[in-house]
This record gives sequence, C-alpha cells and structure tokens, in this order.
Amino acid sequence: MWQLFSREKMWRRRPLKPQYDVVIVGAGIHGLAIAYYLCKRGVTSIALIEKSYLGAGNSGRNTAILRSNYRTPEGIPFYDESVKIWEHLSEELDYNLMFSQQGHITVAHTSATLTGLRVRADANQVLGVNSRLIDPGEIKKLVPSIYIGPNVRYPIMGGLYHPPGGNIRHDAVVWGYARAADRMGAEIHTRTEVTGIDVANGAVQGVRTTAGFIKTATVVNATSGWCTTIARMAGVPLPVTSHTLQACVTEPLKPFMDKVIVSANLHVYVNQSDRGELVLGSEIDPYTSYSQKATLPTLEMIAGHTLELFPSLRHVSVMRQWGGICDMTPDYSPIMGESELKGFILDVGWGTYGFKAGPVSGVRIAELIATGKTPDLIKPFLPDRFAKNHLVGEKAAAAVST
Amino acid sequence: MTTKGKRLAPKPSQQVDQSRAVNFYYDGQRVSGLAGDTVASALFAEGRRIFSRSFKYHRPRGLLCCSGDCPNCIMEVDGKPNVRACRTAIKDGMQVLSQHAWPSVDHDALRIIESFDRFLPIGFYYKALYKPRLLWEVAEPIIRRLAGMGRVRDGECGHIEYEYQYEFVDVLVVGGGPAGMEAALTAAEAGNSVLLVDNETRLGGHLLYEARTYSYQSIDRPGYEIADLLESALRAQPKVRVLSGATAFGGYEGNLVPVLHGETLIHVRYKSLVLATGCHQYPSVFRNNDLPGVMLSRAALRLINLFGLLPGSKAVVATSNDEGYFAALECSRAGMTIAALVDARPSPSTLPLQAAELKSAGVPIFTGMTIHEAHGSGAVVAATIRAAEGSPASTERTIPCDAILLSTSWHGNSALLLQLGCQLGLDKEIGQPIPNKMAAGIFAAGEVLGLRSLPTILESGRLSGSGARQHVRQQSSNWWEESQRLLSQTRQESKAFSIPATTDQKKNFVCLCEDVVEKDLRQGVTEGFDEIETLKRYSTVSMGPCQGRMCSRSSTEICGLATERDFGAVGTTTARPPIHPIPLGVLAGPEFHPVKYTSMHYKHAALTKQFLDMGVWKRPEVYSSVAEEYDAVRNRVGLIDVSTLGKLVVKGKDAPALLDNVYTHWFSTLKPGRTRYGVICDEAGIILDDGTVARLAPDHYYVTTSSGNVDVIEQWMKWLSTGTGWCVHVVNITSGIAAVNLAGPEARGVLSKLTDVDVSAAAFPYMACREGNVAGVPAILLRVGFVGETGWEIHFPAEYGEYLWDELLEAGAAADIRPFGVETQRLLRLEKKHIIVGQDTDALANPYDCDMSWVVKLDKPDFIGRYALENMKDQVGQNRLVGFHSPGEGQPDDGNAIVINGKLAGRVTSVRFSPLLKKYIGLAWVPANDAKPGAAFSIYANGKVHSAVVVEKPFYDPEGKRLK
Repeated sequence: MWQLFSREKMWRRRPLKPQYDVVIVGAGIHGLAIAYYLCKRGVTSIALIEKSYLGAGNSGRNTAILRSNYRTPEGIPFYDESVKIWEHLSEELDYNLMFSQQGHITVAHTSATLTGLRVRADANQVLGVNSRLIDPGEIKKLVPSIYIGPNVRYPIMGGLYHPPGGNIRHDAVVWGYARAADRMGAEIHTRTEVTGIDVANGAVQGVRTTAGFIKTATVVNATSGWCTTIARMAGVPLPVTSHTLQACVTEPLKPFMDKVIVSANLHVYVNQSDRGELVLGSEIDPYTSYSQKATLPTLEMIAGHTLELFPSLRHVSVMRQWGGICDMTPDYSPIMGESELKGFILDVGWGTYGFKAGPVSGVRIAELIATGKTPDLIKPFLPDRFAKNHLVGEKAAAAVST
Repeated sequence: MTTKGKRLAPKPSQQVDQSRAVNFYYDGQRVSGLAGDTVASALFAEGRRIFSRSFKYHRPRGLLCCSGDCPNCIMEVDGKPNVRACRTAIKDGMQVLSQHAWPSVDHDALRIIESFDRFLPIGFYYKALYKPRLLWEVAEPIIRRLAGMGRVRDGECGHIEYEYQYEFVDVLVVGGGPAGMEAALTAAEAGNSVLLVDNETRLGGHLLYEARTYSYQSIDRPGYEIADLLESALRAQPKVRVLSGATAFGGYEGNLVPVLHGETLIHVRYKSLVLATGCHQYPSVFRNNDLPGVMLSRAALRLINLFGLLPGSKAVVATSNDEGYFAALECSRAGMTIAALVDARPSPSTLPLQAAELKSAGVPIFTGMTIHEAHGSGAVVAATIRAAEGSPASTERTIPCDAILLSTSWHGNSALLLQLGCQLGLDKEIGQPIPNKMAAGIFAAGEVLGLRSLPTILESGRLSGSGARQHVRQQSSNWWEESQRLLSQTRQESKAFSIPATTDQKKNFVCLCEDVVEKDLRQGVTEGFDEIETLKRYSTVSMGPCQGRMCSRSSTEICGLATERDFGAVGTTTARPPIHPIPLGVLAGPEFHPVKYTSMHYKHAALTKQFLDMGVWKRPEVYSSVAEEYDAVRNRVGLIDVSTLGKLVVKGKDAPALLDNVYTHWFSTLKPGRTRYGVICDEAGIILDDGTVARLAPDHYYVTTSSGNVDVIEQWMKWLSTGTGWCVHVVNITSGIAAVNLAGPEARGVLSKLTDVDVSAAAFPYMACREGNVAGVPAILLRVGFVGETGWEIHFPAEYGEYLWDELLEAGAAADIRPFGVETQRLLRLEKKHIIVGQDTDALANPYDCDMSWVVKLDKPDFIGRYALENMKDQVGQNRLVGFHSPGEGQPDDGNAIVINGKLAGRVTSVRFSPLLKKYIGLAWVPANDAKPGAAFSIYANGKVHSAVVVEKPFYDPEGKRLK
C-alpha cells in the first residue's frame, strides 16, 4: 500500500557525461527495455538519447495489442517469448501495466483469408502457442456485439482465436521500464537529439548530440520512424520504408467487449480499453511519409469498416485520431543484431509490430551486447538476411492485411 | 430557491416559443419544455440542477457552459450515447436517459467512491492491484464495470441514411458571429463563392445572447438586434451560402475542412479559409469549482436571453475582465440578485457607467479578490472569496448564493488554427494564446485573435474577409499587419487577468471529464511527469470527451507553476482532429461496396446458389457437384466462365519492348498467332501475377492477368512506359470482354460446330491463338491448358455473354457438357500442378523456389526483378513449393502445417482429393533440403497428423499429351 503515496521521482534528469559504455538512441519501449536488461546484466554505463519526451514516438502511439499468433517458425517463438515476459512484467517492474489478457480474435471474410488463418492456427499449435480456428457462432459467443449475419458485402466466415492475446497500458510500460532502468543506473536524456555518429576503422567511435559529444564503442539504434536517418549517420543502409499508420479513439462507453478484434479483410482492429474507450486502428497508409498527422479518408475508412463489424456503434463518437510512423521491411519482420559496422547495433524495422516485441528484443539485444554473441532466437532477423535472401515472411500475420 | 416552472417574459432574443409546448421523457418521466428548448434548458426549467455524474468520483455536475464545450450535460438521447444535452433540441416523444449513475443521477450510490479518494491518488492503477498476479485478474473486470460513460444499445436503431457531400468554394468562413459574418460579406464582394459554417442554430455568435447594447451604425442597439441586422445583410448577398447547425471539425492537408451537418458529412475544399471561431470560457481552479450552480458567465447569459431562464436567484459573479461587469448587469436587470461582483484585478473596471449602475443596484464590488471556494453538497449554497495574489490583503468572506458565475478565464477556439499549421503564443496582457504566425491562405478574425470590443471584431472580420478575397486571386494583403494594429489599439479593453490556482488543491477540479484535481497534477510533476505531454498521459488530464477545452490551459498553467516555467516553456499538447466528437456513422458515410457480376451471371444464378467472393467479383463455386463436373471435363467437355480474368490490350510498335520489360519471359520473340504463359515479378524477384499473353499481330498483344491484379498491372505497365518514348498503348478492357473456357476431350467437336476457325490440332495447336467468329460473335480464341485438357479460352464482347453461354451449352448437349465452377477448376489445375498466384505463393515466393525457373530469362538485358533473380539463381532458397500426395484417411486442408522431425517446417497451400489417384494431392512449401521427390513429411491439421510424400511431376498427364 505504501507505494500508493510514494512521491518518488520515476526517473531523474542528470547531466550528460562525456563517455558511456552503451549509447541507446530512442527512449521508447525498445530502448528502455534494452537499457533495463543491460543493467540487469551489470552493464550500467548507459545513456538513452531521446529527441522528444519519454515515449513520444510509437510507444505512445500504438494500439498496445499483445499476441504471438504469428506465421513463421522464426516469428512465432520470438513473439511467444515476449508474451511470456509480458505476463509477469507488472510484478517484475513493480508497476501495474494493466495487461488485459482477455483474448484476441482475427476474423476472416473470405475463404482465402480463412486459409491464411489456418496456416497460423496450425503453425501456432505445432509450436505450442494457443490458437485455433473458430466458426462465426463461437465468435458471436465470445463477442456478443459483433455482427456475423449475411447483410454485409463480406460476411464473417470464421476467425483465429488466440486466448493469450490482449492489450496493455502502453504508457505504463514505458514508465515502468524507465523507472527500473533509472534505478539501476541507466541515464535518460530527453529533449536531446542525435546529430551524428562518428565512425573510424569500421567501428563506432561516438555520438554527436545537441547536448554534446559522447564517446562510446556501442550505439544501439532503437528508433522508429527515423531509423534510416540514424543509420545513415553511421553509413549503414537499411531496406526500410516509412509509412504512417493511423488510429483513433472514441468517447468512453460502458464496457461491452473485452476481446481484441482484428479484421484482416477490412483492415481494422478494435478493442475497448479498461477506461471504456474504443481504440480503432487501421493498416499503414499506402504511401511513404514522415507525417504523424492523421487524415480524413483513413478516419472514414476506419469508421466504415468498424461499423461493418459492429453496426450498433454508429452513434458512438470519435474523440481524436493520430498517426505514428512505421518502418517497414520487405518481409514484415524486424532487423535485429549488429550491423556491418562494428559496435552499431540495430533494433529497427519494427513496422506495425514493435510494441509487443519490446520485452523480448530488450532481453535479447541486451544479451547480444553483454555477451557479444547473437542469441539464436534473433539470428533469423539479422540484417544480412536480405543479401542472403533468407527472409522471414510475416506479412500475412504481422499487419492487418492479407 | 429554484426557478421551477418559471420563465422570464418573452423577449425578441429568446429562441423558445413560450406558446408551444414540446413533451419528452427524461429517465421515463414526462417533461414539458418549449419549442426551441434544448434538452438541457427544458430540464433546467423543470428545476433540474444535477445533469450528470462525474467519471471517477460520481460527483454531481450541473450546467456549466451551455455551449457543448464541457462534459457536464452528457446524456443518452434516443439510444445515442454521450449526447450533449445543451446542444440537442427537444422533440416530442424524445427519450432521454441519464448515464453513468446508479440508481439515479440525483442519488448515485457510487458517490461513495469519493470517500476513498485519499486511497485513489493520481496513478492509483499503476501502483496497485498487480501483486500477486491473480489480484489483477480479479480486479480488472470490476474496474471495467465501473468504467465508461454511455451505453451501446445492441441491435438496429432504425435505418439512417448517412451521406457524403463535396463542396468547393473560394472562401470558407468558420464561425457565424459578427466577425465571421462581416468576413463572409467582405469576401463575397468580388464575386467569390463563400460558404459560412456555424454550429449554432442561428447566426450571431455571442451577440445572440447579449441584451447589452452596442453602438452599431451610430445607434445603440442590443446585441441580438445587431445579430439580426448582420444576418439579414448576409442573407441578401447571393454569393454567400450559410450552413447553420454545422460543425467544422478538423483542418486537414489539401485545404480540406470536413463539416458535420446532421447525418451528412460535407467535405469542403477552399482556396482561402477564415477562422472566426470565437472564444470559450473555462472555469478557474478553486475548491469545489465543479458544484452544480457554478456556471460560466456566457452560459448564464444564454439561459437568460435565449431560454428565458434565470441561472439562480442570487449570484456571486467572479471576473478578471470587463465582461464580468456586463454579465452581472444583465443578470441583475433580468431579476437576479448579485450578491457580489468579485474582480481579481487590483483596480476596478474602467467602465464607470456599468460599475455605477451595479453599485446603484446595490451590488457590492470587491476588487483584488477572487473566488476561493464554493460551498454546498449537491448545489452551491455559498461562495468564499479572498484576496487575489499580489493584491492588498482583505478579509476572507463567505457569501450565501445559489449561483457562481465565472468570467475569469477565456481561451480562443484555436484548434483549427493549430491543425492547419498556424502558431500561437500566450499574450499575457490579454490572458489568451493568440496567433502569432499564420499559415498561407488562413485568416483569423474576432475573439480568436484576442479582440473583445464589437467595433474591433467587426473591423477584423472585414480585414480577414478582404485578405481571403485577395488570396483567392493569389494577391497578398496587409490584413495581418492591420489586424495586429487593431489588437494593439484595443489591448487595454481586452485586458484579462489569469487567476493563479490556490494551494488547497484536493477538490480543485482541473479536468471535469476525468476528475483530475490540482493536487493530482502537482503530484504528477513531483513524480517526474514534468512535461505536459507525459503529465497528460499520466493524469489523463485533457484526454476526456471535452478534449481539453475546459482544462488544457489550467493544466498547462499548473504544470508551469509546479515546474517554475512559464506557459511558453511548458508548451501545449497537440490539437488532434476531430475538434468535436463525431459519430462513427457520419464518418463512415453511405455504405458502398461494389459487387461485380460477369455478363453471364444470371445464367449461373439460375443453375446454382453457391457463389464465391473473389475480390469484388462473384463466381460460381460449384453447380452440381465437384465429382460430376470433374468427370465431365476429364471425360467429355465442360464450360467455365472466366470473364473475371483481367484483360489488357497492349498495342504499338514498342509493345514487345514493354512486355519484355514487365514479364520475366521473352515476348518480343513470341510469334504472331502464338500464346505464352507469363509471370510478373517485383524488384525483389517475388511473383506478383501470372497470365497468358497472346500475340495477335506484330504490334498487338492480348494479355490476361489474374482477376484481382488487373488494375495494378495496368498502372504498372503505364508507369513503366512513361518517359520511355515508346509507342505503346495499354487499355484495360476487362469489363468489356467476357470469356469462357471450353475444355475436355470433346471440346474440339463442340467448338467446331460453332466457329469458322479451323480448330484441328494441326491448324490450331496448343498455345496458339486465332481471331474468328463463334456462333456469329467475333472472338479471340486461345489454346490454353490450365485444367489439363484440350481447351479453348474464348474471349468475346461481354454483351453476348448470355447468348454465347447458351449456344455453347446447346452445342455441347450431345456430348453431355457441364458447366463447372471454381472449386472444380481448382481440383483440375491442382492435378496438373499449376499454381495460383496468391494462394500457392506468398509475399516471399520467387520463380526458382516455385520450381518455375524456366520462366526466368536472364538472357534478356533487363526486366523487373532481373537483378534480384540473377542474384538468387545460384543461391539455394530456404524453401521450395512442391507437389505431394497423402494417402492417409484424414482430410487435410489448405493452410495446414508441415512438420518434419517434430519441427514446424512449412505449410500446405492447396490440397484436394484427387478422384484420379484416389488420394489427397496438393502443393506445399517445405525446406529446400526436404524437397526431393520421395521425401516424406507430416501434415499437421488441427490436432491430427497425416503423412505425405513429395511428388515431382504433375499428377495428371505429366507429358501433356491430352493438350495436343
């Protein structure tokens, strides 16, 4: 009970030192998780450099859906490890992250999409992840407000039910990791922008920031939206394009739905937060952009598609909409591991699936930095896979597209 | 002490018709209001003072703004949740329900939550209920039950026609107050089309509910009369269109401002935009400032002048500007007792006349004092005032009253300005952030600029209207400099005084939507949330239904006080659209989902009900049974409608070059009269589409694509020919051309009855193409073999679809011809191991891994994907698409997993029972090392396991003899 009345600072502002063992660019969930797990391994000379406020990027913009019902033998165990960390993270960080593990349903409106869901159901089951195909009747039982009848252009034909999925209070995750990392010695420098990365002899020498130069041999690029901008400073090209993804939230409603609903065909996902607001998201905009602004056509599309799933919501009002920038890779899988430049570690290309992977990538990137060895779990995601043509095709499971 | 049942004498300013009653229901009780009443005014007239319960503590909340800005009168109206009662006109029989209270809004048992507020500090949920883990699983459902506001009613609520409209105007004016009307008039002078959008039912802005007089055209008139005069002048101008009761709710890129008008969403595109959006008031922060009876002064004026209702009988008016004096005067003239006028400024108003009238009416004026606390449990019974900071100390005093009217804090309605790229800065003298940098084509006028007096407001309307008019003609203007001059001239009269928050902060409400008090914000800062963006997310201040309209200024100021920074350094949170809550139904607009039927559709519909959605198309899945249809095609003859195929004509002397560039295969070497299978890859060598390309003449190709891809392929071909200087034309003729595939051992006999083309094997060999007549219809005939039998694709004008379908069936009757559906076709092609792009391939599939290296012609100098494919050529891909058969009893299905040595290794893309082999056959992705013919693997199908073996050759007619 005592912590209810605690007025302790969650994290401290400290002066920037001239040298750190590790400099992490980007204080979102990825950067913070890496810092936290590095500290746990005893590496505590860390500076997190954040150009805006804590969690200003996609950590504060995503729709906070957690799941592991992916498609590939590489992706499924990776995201599954993340879900397992999520399940105990509130206790570990001593902060209630409000993980609402109420289940996740992806519905299909065409037979082709249903086949895509069967791929995931069977692959998940082989790898021990709880997923199964369900028929429209069972969907209706789990989500009574959903419309499964025939009076729409593409009626619901079935769904992929993933009970361990759910959503979480995303800001709390950022704050929880920030506090824990701060307590163990990592420094968080907000409103500090990286302006250059010094390289010599094929290795990182240091980072230039708006607050001064930092000497370091290890830089982690844990940014989103501008991961190519940071990588270019180090001379490392990335096969990444950036697109805006938009979401919106409605006025609070008495809770009527506790599952996360995704429609692969309608490109929309819906969940109701513990505060009663509906969070509605769409797929990435079809064009590349660095804009975090939302657009009217996407809002209209989200609204229309949501109403096909839930016609009774038509009088419910949208309160605000926003956008975040997603760094898309050709295979819809992330890029993790040391780049061709020594000491330049990549944790980027997180597309539309970065938040849910924050804990596992934190654990494994920290392991990589601390041991110098790439953990097996993230080997499939190394940056050289593009040259080797060893892609990890998650497009059908990573985004809300088919 | 209430004014139950009482209305003031009718006045021209009133929007209610005191002679016409309108009856509706509130929580089941009949309420009688007047025509022109809002739900809120009618309930207020009946004596209701509690209109809602707050989100967290269930505190009683009463009318505060009467303008749709605050969350205090949110109710359910005719099944619609979270409706602002003060913005909703009453209708006979309307059903209004209170929300978020149990058992009733007057006696809400959940008020008890407030007794535990000591245990519910800011961040409570982050700090509790998670240890042990099980506790959260128990607590979460309870928290959910307490959350939310309105209720979603399931089921249909009657059909509503939502509509989209599109408007293109020279000048859009948002705001129909004096500044907006004057701007519209001025902008229309040069013949520009002007649209004025206003969210009230009548034009006039604040003038509508002001009985005070202004000098207008040298005559002293009451505000509402001036509003009428301005409106009639505006209505007389034919170039101005007025939309009342309409909300402009966002500023988007591309000069787009969407407007909500009833059930219609109007997309307005403008050349110039004038924002005359006015100001709103918000409550200052003091103890119990959320009690029913605490009301913004403009809300009081609305009640008095529009609805003939007194906000109370005895009021304390708190102000920090001259507006408070006018409000007090109007209240006093209307019959209220003003128990005190409390002016936070150290010296009294510069309005000697008004001050004198108030004094002569016996109103005590306290300068240098401010409101400190409201007393009462369900309604205000008294107010405590004390010295404002920095003023000579005076004794604290408590004054009995039943209303506290606030004219303390003003804020421009500047969200649209911010969304459209204008910048604002706090003007400390005026006490309001005002624009300091405008974006091109955006003009502002009136109160949103910080102006307060009517002459300057009207003048700024004219300035912005003329600036907007000149911008339409791409001329610059000096409106900004002139407006700044106005502002500096009138700064004195605009003067306001920001009231610092007090120190006892537990019941000092900052955010009414989320029940955030001053103490919460200060504690949040202490905990490290010292940036307004993090403080907002931690405390949820400004994240409720009013989206910060009532609290963003106060929260920013408190954040500044707590961190010892001023307003500018604290910054503000992003003004996100929509600026007012907009129903999903209106945003969604009309339901529009095209369905495409082939020209033979109704012939199919007469034969079968089983249709499949293939993109926008409907295709027959099966007519009789797969077994029957299969038997017909393999042993006699079958007919399938393939009109959904994409069809492109590529013509011109450089058509061969274009096709060589787009497809992986050679097409310049294709001889006229021949057809070739083609694959299109993307730059990464991934298969995008396949189809057949027929060369009808040296410069004339007829190209088919898969049904869903034709638009993309067409665009791509056109894009690739852009700038090349090639003579080539690409025309999409998909809808104009119907197509059928006539296939089976007896197809030749059937076709020969109808056509003048020599269809003998010698004259018309496999993969040839011819033009000729079929049953008198001009057609292109392609010898293709997708289903593995002798067959012709017949492409012909779509208008003959039903005719030719019938003719072919009739000609085939003797051979017992059968129409066959998509499902039978899938089985037939699977026996031939023909892939379907998108089903058997995915976003990683290249021709090498699909065992189709023969389509990749690296001897061509260039084509899309060549670089990637050349690099892949000698590199073993990780996976292979292979054929397999599975002798097992079970029923594997498309998408099942493939397991090798207990590990997930791949997936089945297509699997069907082959009547020929009497076992399941299919295609699957397996690791390259396990792709050798004869290699065994397991198929995992929802808990069951089947064995399977890799097969190299097509299952049916591997040599292709039947196609000859």
